[in-house]
Amino acid sequence: MPRTYDALVVGSGMTGGWAAKELTEAGLNTLVLEAGRMVTTEDYVEHVPPWQMRFRGLDDRRARAADQPVQSECYACDEWSSKFFVNDHENPYATPADKPFLFLRGRQVGGRSIMWGRQTYRWSDLDFEANLRDGIAIDWPIRYADIAPWYDHVERFIGVSGEKLGLPQLPDGQFLPPMDLNCGETLVRDAIAKHWPGERVLTIGRCAILTEDHNGRKGCHYCGYCERGCITLSYFSSLNATLPAARLTGKLTLRPHSVVHSLIYDPQRQRVTGVRVIDGETKHAIEFSGRIVFLCASTLESARILLNSATREFPTGLANSSGELGRNLMDHIMGGGASGKVDAPADRMPVGRRPNGIYLPRFRNLPGRPKSPFLRGYAYQGGAGREGWGRGTDLPGFGADWKRALRDPGPWHFNFYGFGECLPNHDNYVEIDPNLKDAWGIPTLRIHCAYGDNEWALMKDASIAAAEMLAAAGARDIAPFIEHNPPGKVIHEMGTARMGRDPKTSVLNGHNQAHDIPNLFVTDGACMASSANQNPSITYMALTARACAYAVDLMRRREI
Amino acid sequence: MDRRAALRLLGATTTAATATDLHALGRALHRHLGRGAPLRVLDPHQNATVIAVSDVILPATDTPGAKAALVNEFIDLLLADWYEPEDRDRILAGLAEVDARARAAFGKDFVDGTGAEQAALLAALDDAAARWNAAPQATRGPQPFYREIKWLTLFGYYTSEIGAEQEQHYAIVPGRYVPCAPADTAVAPE
Repeated sequence: MPRTYDALVVGSGMTGGWAAKELTEAGLNTLVLEAGRMVTTEDYVEHVPPWQMRFRGLDDRRARAADQPVQSECYACDEWSSKFFVNDHENPYATPADKPFLFLRGRQVGGRSIMWGRQTYRWSDLDFEANLRDGIAIDWPIRYADIAPWYDHVERFIGVSGEKLGLPQLPDGQFLPPMDLNCGETLVRDAIAKHWPGERVLTIGRCAILTEDHNGRKGCHYCGYCERGCITLSYFSSLNATLPAARLTGKLTLRPHSVVHSLIYDPQRQRVTGVRVIDGETKHAIEFSGRIVFLCASTLESARILLNSATREFPTGLANSSGELGRNLMDHIMGGGASGKVDAPADRMPVGRRPNGIYLPRFRNLPGRPKSPFLRGYAYQGGAGREGWGRGTDLPGFGADWKRALRDPGPWHFNFYGFGECLPNHDNYVEIDPNLKDAWGIPTLRIHCAYGDNEWALMKDASIAAAEMLAAAGARDIAPFIEHNPPGKVIHEMGTARMGRDPKTSVLNGHNQAHDIPNLFVTDGACMASSANQNPSITYMALTARACAYAVDLMRRREI
Repeated sequence: MDRRAALRLLGATTTAATATDLHALGRALHRHLGRGAPLRVLDPHQNATVIAVSDVILPATDTPGAKAALVNEFIDLLLADWYEPEDRDRILAGLAEVDARARAAFGKDFVDGTGAEQAALLAALDDAAARWNAAPQATRGPQPFYREIKWLTLFGYYTSEIGAEQEQHYAIVPGRYVPCAPADTAVAPE
């Protein structure tokens, strides 16, 4: 295969797929390097019922404990989908003993876009101005107006179902028809609207799942197991949408089993000229060159590649004249909330497995509202449902009548589950561990990350406010909770190569272009200067598309 | 179970055979013959006990019950390849304890009891499990064996093709989401 391309893209997941699509559609011969194996729709298992699985969904826990003790901390790494997560022995990392971090990874064509949660929320200027307003870290170099057209661009292509609300803190987008709330959820929604009019709004989740046919992909059939794949391509993944679009151009070369070791830097021209790859199967070294490089390997992998690419000119990591590379790692905090039983109609129940829940956007620390004793805010996901046969274990009785009773649905439950913003903190960082290498001989990361007081204060407030709302909805057996999850578990890790205006305090400029190296772009979560509380993938995708347009323009003008 | 094992089982019980015993034996043989994979942990008597207990919990009604759904084979798989050895041993001890209670209550192993005797014994265990469930978590101790076998029965049954499709009308591809369907015509939730 050729060794020289117009563009090299490292990673084939959420952002790599977008870079592939945008760059090939602009006419660039593009090589996408993917560390893991090829995945096709043949690998999808969403319609394999439990009785065809060896452990019926209880999972092969001995195999998981042996090979994926970290990955199996993710809910989606189950008997069906564990094949979409890495082997922990091949992919080690280190943490200090007192700072556990879950590094949850999918190395394959499609990356983690195969198993992502599909929740899709725009940021607003409340988020882009937050660091400036609070005097924390550095100001974002962009505002909502800079990214809004790119949100439109991404949403129109991927298909996002949702309800328009007109909320300034959660801008509306190009939505397909929303999925429906069930009657447990409308009950809670209406009670909240009555008690907190105009302040707290419960809506159906905005998600990258099609509610009608769109761009050659079929509407959802409500089997409910998106993280196992989707033969009708109804949810967005790079595998389902962006990579096929890139392939259609005839300009795409996709190379699986290509573990990127580092980037090649030419100090004379002050450009990256290519990448060093270890073949995942043969473990032979191979190099590819390109006029531009897009790092889309995921927040921590992109940081690792740059740290492993140190040169005489950049002794602490490529493009790290600021010293901020690897710093300011964030992950949303989750798990403050409450659950309870609600008095929704006993003679009604949802049918079909809706792969989406409710969303209750941020309502704390909004402009013109009272200040909370913490910074920023949180939003809730969750929803209502009725108990099934699982309640039988503690339902007294047995026998024919009892079996018949279990056929009927059990009580209605409602669950609020909070996701809070994580503040950027210079002391949350990654570095190369001098003693630890992966299965391909590549030095790997030592991750230092812990939540601070503000994150825990958000979850405490989220728990109390959730219980209040359930009480307002007349719920019984209300149980507030705060989970103590380590960072990484939300799998919204971001930061480590932040965007900013000043090359002295940031790695990337306002177009995801390295301040130090004009033909190097980093467009995955590494670029983030703050975290907001919204699920981040749509923002990564929009920033990627925007950066691609910028890079193509610079190339046409021969500036890079 | 193969023919030789069936004969061995027959031989072991011929010395004091009564009509009831032979009837029970016939039922046990019926349970064993013609099944799928050979059992790996449960011996024939333990297997017969698992079948009997699970089929009292979830009997055949207008749909097949736990026995027809081969819940015993799934439990054997879990005991062989899923449970930790100490948990497996605890469950096997629990099965023996059921027999000890049966002999104390009606002078026979559980599998040899009448339907009424078996139901009365499980009713007592079910009451005890309910008391355990209602007790404070901090002081109530480990769950009773009966609660564990009840859960195994439920899980093994409702995740089987029979339990999911015939009893629950589980649809792999629902095709639509109806948010507030009438519950009496609806598909039961998982």
